[in-house]
Amino acid sequence: MPSISEPATTPGPSVGTRSEDRLAPTYYVVCWNDPVNLMVYVTHVFMKIFGWERQKAEKHMMEVHEKGKSVLVRESAEKAEFYVHRLQGYKLQATMEPAE
Amino acid sequence: MKLARQSAGRFQYQLSEEEAQSLGLLVEQFPVGEHSRVKNSKADTAKDEREKLLNESLAAHRKELRLMAGDLIRPERFKTLGAGRLFSVTAEEREALLQILNDIRVESWRLLGEPENVDMDVSSLPKEKLRYYVFMCLAGDFEFHFLTLQDAK
Repeated sequence: MPSISEPATTPGPSVGTRSEDRLAPTYYVVCWNDPVNLMVYVTHVFMKIFGWERQKAEKHMMEVHEKGKSVLVRESAEKAEFYVHRLQGYKLQATMEPAE
Repeated sequence: MKLARQSAGRFQYQLSEEEAQSLGLLVEQFPVGEHSRVKNSKADTAKDEREKLLNESLAAHRKELRLMAGDLIRPERFKTLGAGRLFSVTAEEREALLQILNDIRVESWRLLGEPENVDMDVSSLPKEKLRYYVFMCLAGDFEFHFLTLQDAK
């Protein structure tokens, strides 16, 4: 897997009003490249899971394809885990990594 | 293969007799191989408990898909239309079908040794693995058509 820099468009942290919300750790949901999943399928899965427009889904799909991975969202541990489960359910290689 | 009609969350595909037979035989293979367990070696954050839960959840999801696979290839779904067949699914069923096809594709690829280049030289494959190559290619072909025919509409 080639070494790559972090994508330019990383979603910002969710806005919390309580101090504990701001202190709660957040995680990046990362999708990794593989030689077998079709590009149209990966785009479809991103649209389905995150409710993204095709353009955004294709941008992340291309990032996965060309750079080896794409940071999809930044979320709380529970939500990040939920997204990883869903992506894995679609047979995409996804992991969560601490954002801090 | 053509998208004959798309309305109110229902899809109707026009398939040749050969395509209908291939789709039925392919989906019948699900699941191909054992569920490959997820090991989040790329992330230090994934604890053993999380991996266990993830694998349990994926195994349960695969069981659900297995039930749906049987339903998706019921003969009643493939109505005779001229020299071919009209295959009807709801949007939800089509989504499950895509997941089943992709599962077949990915697991066949794993059984082939996870080659970096999926357009491999088949003459180098042992005889017993040729079927997985066929499954992988066929599943990818159907996936591509189901997705792009929808987009073209």
